[in-house]
Amino acid sequence: MAMFANQGREGDASLGAETHIGPSVKMEGTFAGEGDVVIEGILVGQLSTKGDLRVGPQASIEAELRSKNATIAGKVKGNIAVTNSLKLAPTANVMGDIKALSLSVDDGAVINGKLTMSREKTSRENGTHEPTVDKPKLS
Amino acid sequence: MYLYIYDSFLSHQKFASLLAAIEQRVIDLDIKGKIARLSILKNTHELIRDAVRAGVTTVVAIGDDQTFAKIINIIAPLEVTFGIIPVDTKSKVARVLGVPPKELACDVLAARIVKKLDLGKINNYYFLSSAEISNAKVSITCGSYTLQPTTELNTVRICNVGWNKNSSASDPTDGILEAIITPSIQQWLTKKELAPTVLPFTKIRINSEVEGGAPILTDEQIILKTPADVEIAPHKLKVIVGTNRLFA
Repeated sequence: MAMFANQGREGDASLGAETHIGPSVKMEGTFAGEGDVVIEGILVGQLSTKGDLRVGPQASIEAELRSKNATIAGKVKGNIAVTNSLKLAPTANVMGDIKALSLSVDDGAVINGKLTMSREKTSRENGTHEPTVDKPKLS
Repeated sequence: MYLYIYDSFLSHQKFASLLAAIEQRVIDLDIKGKIARLSILKNTHELIRDAVRAGVTTVVAIGDDQTFAKIINIIAPLEVTFGIIPVDTKSKVARVLGVPPKELACDVLAARIVKKLDLGKINNYYFLSSAEISNAKVSITCGSYTLQPTTELNTVRICNVGWNKNSSASDPTDGILEAIITPSIQQWLTKKELAPTVLPFTKIRINSEVEGGAPILTDEQIILKTPADVEIAPHKLKVIVGTNRLFA
């Protein structure tokens, strides 16, 4: 019975439905999924999903994170790799490297780590790039 | 060929007129079959298995949700179609399957829309709706990760067909079970529930620190204790459903 989105599934944790880790739960180990993931509790280990990731303001994470899009509002100790866009809320505190296609950082968010942005997918990157800036077009 | 199984509580006189109305409707719709009445002296497993060996292809349970749960667990491994006739309006299973109460259910049986539904499986016990562990410290292992509530008291509900407060719609055909972990804290004499964790899964293992294992209440019958392996049995049960069912 899926109470959330109807998406594809494969493997033990790779279900397309939304996974929601509440504030009073600790998840430990390697999570690999396909659906959206919301974390408001504690996560230790690794998390990767083909869907979107949302980390709540009370969440405490010591893990490598990979997702399509991500919104971080809590404390993350570990690297974050996002294939599309990453949004850091004012309460976000990231201690780790960030890879993303686009990044939005709200006033108050803390980043301690290397920032890598590329037009190419993060999984296909060969090395570190400087943040790209579009040049104005000349007519 | 149909087998109609009357639960033991239907032997009470107050159900006589209802059963007569059901039997008449079954005759009118030309879906009559063999009738078996459950009692403490009869072995339900043997009764159903003997009937299937004799050519029964459709087993219809007449009773309430506990009746349906009991029969489902017996017929799940068999190649038969399952139907229900709820004797009151309280049946949650009937609501999900779109089956009206009492003799009106016979029309659904006659229309014979058959769907293959998922069943949940705890160790070797099948269930249609849900299983629950209450007020226990538990941990859930799913593949390469473990979930551990940080509170002492937790309710873990394994849902296949959902009608709890977190779900309004349900789909017992999607090949997924959900574990809903609701931690709670004691505040004076009341228990306050905290935000739940929702984990979709196909297979998990539930462990508990409770000495002797925490009891698992499955479809309203206590049957097992932790540690337990819980998994989905996709499209395991052929069920006759109504057009007003709550899933596709």
